[in-house]
Amino acid sequence: MALPSAVSNTGGSDMHRRKPGLLAWLILLPLVAWLLLFVVAPTIMLIVVSFAERDALGRIVYEFNLQNYARAFDWVWLKVMLLSIWYALLTTILCMALGFPVAYFIGRAPERWRTTLLLLVMVPFWTSFLIRTYAWITILSKDGLLNALLIGSGILTEPLALLYTPFAIVLGLVYNFLPFMILPIYTSVEKLDNALIEAAYDLGAGPVRAFSQVIIPLTRPGIAAGAMLVFIPSIAMFAITTLMGGGSNPTVGEVIFKQFTSGRNQPFGAALGTILLVIFLLALWLTNRQREERN
Amino acid sequence: MKTKTTKTILSAAAAAALAFTATAQAAEKLNIYCWSEYIPQDVIDDFSKETGIKVSVENYASNEEMLAKLGAGGGSFDIIQPSEYVVEALVKEKLLRPLDKKAIPNLKNIDPKFLNMSFDPGNKYSVPFMAGTVGIAINTELVKDDIKSFSDVFKPANKGKIVVLDDAREIVSWALLSKGIPVNDVSDKNLEKAKGVLADWIPLIKVYDSDSPKTALLNGDVAIGVVWGGEGAILLNENKKFRWVIPAEGTHLFIDSLAIPKTAKNFANAEKFMNYILQPEVSKKISEAFPYLNPNMEAVKLLTEEQRNNSASFPSAKDLAKMEIFNDIGERGSVIEEIVTSLKVE
Repeated sequence: MALPSAVSNTGGSDMHRRKPGLLAWLILLPLVAWLLLFVVAPTIMLIVVSFAERDALGRIVYEFNLQNYARAFDWVWLKVMLLSIWYALLTTILCMALGFPVAYFIGRAPERWRTTLLLLVMVPFWTSFLIRTYAWITILSKDGLLNALLIGSGILTEPLALLYTPFAIVLGLVYNFLPFMILPIYTSVEKLDNALIEAAYDLGAGPVRAFSQVIIPLTRPGIAAGAMLVFIPSIAMFAITTLMGGGSNPTVGEVIFKQFTSGRNQPFGAALGTILLVIFLLALWLTNRQREERN
Repeated sequence: MKTKTTKTILSAAAAAALAFTATAQAAEKLNIYCWSEYIPQDVIDDFSKETGIKVSVENYASNEEMLAKLGAGGGSFDIIQPSEYVVEALVKEKLLRPLDKKAIPNLKNIDPKFLNMSFDPGNKYSVPFMAGTVGIAINTELVKDDIKSFSDVFKPANKGKIVVLDDAREIVSWALLSKGIPVNDVSDKNLEKAKGVLADWIPLIKVYDSDSPKTALLNGDVAIGVVWGGEGAILLNENKKFRWVIPAEGTHLFIDSLAIPKTAKNFANAEKFMNYILQPEVSKKISEAFPYLNPNMEAVKLLTEEQRNNSASFPSAKDLAKMEIFNDIGERGSVIEEIVTSLKVE
């Protein structure tokens, strides 16, 4: 969870920037090595493979060509990409709507309660992600807990088809990524100066105006960080979409997974992965530019 | 054959731990690279106890995952478990080591109809492990129609009630069969015909799952499944409301084999392991854990009447005659993947 505070801090500290000394580099060495080994190297490999070909067994043949990219812009794959972006966008918006009040409540709660409340947000995530996803299957299936409850209490007579629908996909994504929205917003809310909100009221702002013109702008770094942390992983997530969506609405994560396995076409999967990477960089660049403009 | 993503993720940690302990001693070793949920752990433990050979197991979730690792030169595996069309490709690419038949006398227990197949004439490189079929499982409480064929399954009345294997090659082969085209004739012209059929079929499908398609059937989310015979056998055992049908058009008979990669170091131990699990008593244990079509005729004799009569495990001779095995289609796999994906997003 280093990212949110890093994102929210960089805005103001520009004037104090100076060159790091030797000691600083030594301390940073493990991190730099980590980044080179597990971020830079795999990314370069991904990009190189995306320009390669493959043989009948699916082995990569290093002959430069652009056909993987030409194919990636076929309408079929664009539709898959758009569908994934749509689910991710919906997930981000819902996480924001649900996460902001929670983060605000925790951030404004008496100090001695905050750690406990934050812990409560995180406790469910100590259980394996797959087990939690299977639990949702038990809850949402036709003979599942929710339908049994609704029919048992007389609200419904016929079970609802909840599982294996776009609804289930978005529910699964929101449930899994919500903490990534709550935590960065919480760090922003915690730093919120109460005096500024009181000043807004003193100067005649109603609750709506105080919220939209004081609280939101002041917590924007947290909201932006949360949005990135939710949006980016939800585009490529394939386990939830496969298990809860039933695979009938393929997302780009699923498609990439299949290219690397049954499609025996790693170069094409790599090309799709590279395109996703470009989309992420673009999204990051846009949010950064927005912030700079405001500063 | 099957894609078992989640189970593999779950078992990855266990496999890693196992691999770690197995290197502790310099004794005789055997590195198995096999499907998840296919060789019972107690069979492996017994083999270790009996022979003193340290076994480490790594799992894969699809043939292609195994191919990718083997092709990239990763891992030093002594035994792998490829399906029929993958054996064919591996033989073609000269990636397998010829077997020393003298070390595997128990090969005599295998029913001759599973030997000397087109993918490995004379079984120079592979020993059959398990076979199985793809068929139709029906919840008779929810579906009253008399379903006999793929065309009966994919009717508008069944929209939203169907689970199928999440496997593009399988799905396309059903469409080919419904047009009377052999499953391995994947020319552009034939795939175009299959695409026409699938344009009607795919919108009817609710769930794609190769991992555990029985779950959606047991939970009542769907009523009809086109699934592996092993899954069907479990459904039949679980509840009498399920019925199993071999499609009238014919279907896919898969044969998963054991083979030794060319790069294997402990190949003699691999042959020992093959011979070990070909013993009727051992093979019976595997059948009990994973009720597929056991090609070991001596092991089948040891099964109970009920196990042998499970039509999803053991199809009739008449049904068996209608089945086809898959040939290796190389790069065509990617085209097939695209056809199915494009229809899903229509």
